[in-house]
Amino acid sequence: MGKGRLARLVRIAERVAYWTVTAPVLAFLPAALGYRVACWRGDWLFRTEPAKRTDLASNLRLLLGDELSGEAAQATVRDWFRLASCEALDVRRLRSKGKPLQRLVQIRGREHLEAALAGGKGALLCSAHFGSFDSGFSMLGASGFKVTTIGRWQHKYTVGLSGAERRFWNLVYTRPLERLRYRPNIEPWAGRVEVAAKAAAALRANEVVTISIDVPPLAGDRARAVEVPFLGGRATLLPGVVTLAKLTGAPVLMCFLYRSADYRHQVLQISEPVPVDGEAATAFGRCAAEVSAAVRSNPAHWQYLASTADLADLGLIPQVRDGPAAATSKIGTAPGLQPQS
Amino acid sequence: METIINDYISRELVQDAALLPLSDDTSLLDSGILDSLSLLQLVVFLEERFGITVGDTDLLPQNFASVQTICAYLRSRQPVAHG
Repeated sequence: MGKGRLARLVRIAERVAYWTVTAPVLAFLPAALGYRVACWRGDWLFRTEPAKRTDLASNLRLLLGDELSGEAAQATVRDWFRLASCEALDVRRLRSKGKPLQRLVQIRGREHLEAALAGGKGALLCSAHFGSFDSGFSMLGASGFKVTTIGRWQHKYTVGLSGAERRFWNLVYTRPLERLRYRPNIEPWAGRVEVAAKAAAALRANEVVTISIDVPPLAGDRARAVEVPFLGGRATLLPGVVTLAKLTGAPVLMCFLYRSADYRHQVLQISEPVPVDGEAATAFGRCAAEVSAAVRSNPAHWQYLASTADLADLGLIPQVRDGPAAATSKIGTAPGLQPQS
Repeated sequence: METIINDYISRELVQDAALLPLSDDTSLLDSGILDSLSLLQLVVFLEERFGITVGDTDLLPQNFASVQTICAYLRSRQPVAHG
């Protein structure tokens, strides 16, 4: 067996053990200890995965240029690994109707969401692949809101995953998250024309629908994508959230889950409604600007930082020749846990 | 009914002029006229114009495949006339 293959198997075995054994145990420990151990694991991954570390550093440099010093960039990359490890604990702390995680997450702007729902047309929470966003949506569901997410469970579609791997991610990631959501994810994929109408049905029932807008458009959707300013460049994104808001009358609120410096506490920040009047592209630009600002201030929170192919498909960095297409995107599976390229 | 729906789709949803005039049996999905958001736009129009509610379970591609199938679906939703 080659050295590279052996190293890959060891990495996979460690990840499986972490998600199935270590993280559940850590999630029962006092939070300060559990998240500290998760950060140690993140530091260990930072040291032992030089290829990923290099990719992250390179993407960070391409996105933010000289905004970060070399030292700050290294700290950001290390943080990315730490956050990826912490997310497993967030997911495991969704047990017991999410109460263990709720104790660590402060919801700011809950009144904005409640005011939006008082209008009777539901609410669109506009977010990104930022921090433990998936856990944040489920925790919001656990705190009394009827939450449904528009989003793909990427492990169901990622090319090259075995059936066993798909079942594994379904078991350790999807199931705990979906238990606290009101409806199954509405998964947009080529040919699924009912997605927006299903989301509209949830909004009509005065529920909360979440959508992450930082996804590279699929090939079939590129015709309706728009280019918007993003991280100092221009990103190609789908403005569906604004179209959905215009068609249903649902207000759009920005929503980000920030992890604090102690790694165990988090803040789920919900904004006031974003105006969606005027041209769809202009209105969507406001939402994208909010995502861009969140990423710029907390780049380690952005899961796409690790995915060169996705960043290229977004138009933010140059395309890698012979690189994987968007259909092989690894985002959506828990960060740091994806199969290695 | 066919005329109303054909006119609406031709006016509001067809982006490629080469697809006009739209025939009632043109596949709205294969031709790319309907995607997720334009289907929603069409559903909103149908609900307002014909006073129906399109439920989750009716959001099947076969119900919206063409102007003809949309009309068939709408007729199936209207009460049967007795007498």
